[in-house]
Amino acid sequence: MFKRLDKAVPVGEVTIWLENQPRRVPATLSAAAAVLWLDGSAGYRDHAAGGRRAPLCMMGVCHECLITVDGAPNRQGCLVPVAEGMRLERQRRSP
Amino acid sequence: MSDANLRHAEVAIIGAGPAGMAAASRLAEAGQRPVVFDLAPSPGGQIYRQLSAPQVGEEVMGRDYLRGRALLERFENARLDYRPGSRAWWAQREGQGTTLGVLAGGRSELWQAKRLIVAGGAMERGWPFPGWQLPGVMQAGAGQILLKQGGLVPDAPPVLVGTGPLLYLLAWQYLRAGCPPRLILDAAPRSRYAELLRRPRATWHAGHYLLKGLGMLSALRRAGVTVKHGLEAIEAEGGERLEAVRYRLGGRWQRVGASLLLTHFGVVPEPQLCRGLGLAHDWHDGQQAFVPRRDAGSLAAEPGVWLAGDGAGIGGALNAEREGHLAALAILAAEDEVVAHEAAPIHRARRRDMRARALLEALFRVPEGWLAAQPETTLVCRCEGVSLGEINAAMAQGAAGPGQLKAFTRCGMGPCQGRLCGESVTRLLAGHLGTTPEAVGTYQVRPPLQSITLGELAVSSVPPEISRSLRS
Repeated sequence: MFKRLDKAVPVGEVTIWLENQPRRVPATLSAAAAVLWLDGSAGYRDHAAGGRRAPLCMMGVCHECLITVDGAPNRQGCLVPVAEGMRLERQRRSP
Repeated sequence: MSDANLRHAEVAIIGAGPAGMAAASRLAEAGQRPVVFDLAPSPGGQIYRQLSAPQVGEEVMGRDYLRGRALLERFENARLDYRPGSRAWWAQREGQGTTLGVLAGGRSELWQAKRLIVAGGAMERGWPFPGWQLPGVMQAGAGQILLKQGGLVPDAPPVLVGTGPLLYLLAWQYLRAGCPPRLILDAAPRSRYAELLRRPRATWHAGHYLLKGLGMLSALRRAGVTVKHGLEAIEAEGGERLEAVRYRLGGRWQRVGASLLLTHFGVVPEPQLCRGLGLAHDWHDGQQAFVPRRDAGSLAAEPGVWLAGDGAGIGGALNAEREGHLAALAILAAEDEVVAHEAAPIHRARRRDMRARALLEALFRVPEGWLAAQPETTLVCRCEGVSLGEINAAMAQGAAGPGQLKAFTRCGMGPCQGRLCGESVTRLLAGHLGTTPEAVGTYQVRPPLQSITLGELAVSSVPPEISRSLRS
């Protein structure tokens, strides 16, 4: 869904674990941005009322980016910078 | 509560966008040491996000992004207490000061701020249409954030829809990045541009904004990007994610395949903190939004509380920087420093810019009747999944205010705390009751003003009145 520009400034990478799979991502991304870059918005998370949801605003307002970070559920993925070894899990039941 | 748990700040500033950075820098240069609480991991706000280590250069972003560097360097070199990743989730006026509950690194601290500058910025307007909850529909600002944060661009041409400068700026940046949008659907009718002729003085003042916009538009057209004006309705289609965009122009529905739809229906002040502080608000007809009330000269909302930047009404990045500067000067003046000579030219520049702003507001108005014209299945409150039909039914049953509507339908009770549906609910009630948005008002905002978990509260120093208030 999103690709990194060839002419983007070179940046360090970190390894995060998304659904228990190690993935290398640019270190400047938020957790939500990393998931969008890796796998797009399809299947980002499920909504309690049924249906799928994915980040809308990426700036801390909409709360559609809720994700489990290092075991803690319902974190706003757009506000959490990625970090080496961070574990992310998609939420199959979330508000 | 013991005093040992309370930290003190002479000046606390919420937000480190242009307004917060300008205010903090000026105060630091006068020998103060303001405490700056920033939701983001690095300073810049939305407009100058990631500017301390830019991911994309001027050839893609344009000049306005890099322009923020001088201010950013000033802020980074100033002697101040910058606290990134901080959520001000509690705010209460106490005497002349303000008590803040600030969550950072998994625990909350209580701060007593003698003086407070609120520079929390704006958000994109929540603007319902069928399917806006589908993965693949994002706000234009989100697209720009991904570009700034990691040099990320759509891997297939997106459809852009809405109204406002950001729509064309993002389209132009995508074009410069080598991935132009497939289609731009502008909700402003072409006739809107007659405003330019009707208001020659404002047009003169807005000259450089308009030239910039026309330059972007012509670059997009030259590159073969289709721009259609006068969008009447839009629908996002798909199952698990966006597959197509349907749109109506001149009474005729058309359909285009798309994996990414970026919408922009203007920006509005992010309301939580000012509402949480109980500040008075007025409906601003030009901005089509509630804005907190403040003194036009000093920018003070109440004794000891100043409001600066787009969170106090949309004025753009340069205006935000000026307002931050003015708020700092107001604080210095209160401490008998002679700063009037410094404030006067900033006020003049600000007034000039504001004349241009009125024209931009007129050009990029969102269509007033939009919401009522949506199909009844359209989600108004995304968090709780409350549809327009359910809101209409509750209003028909007598829900006469935002609070009652919340109780009837649960709208506004989800994780976003009504940020995205608050304006919609106000608009719908005003239409139903035949009154003004001002008379309707909006949801009552209660703490936590930002998401905080019970676990985080448990390891924090929380005074009894806060836990009582949270229980009630």
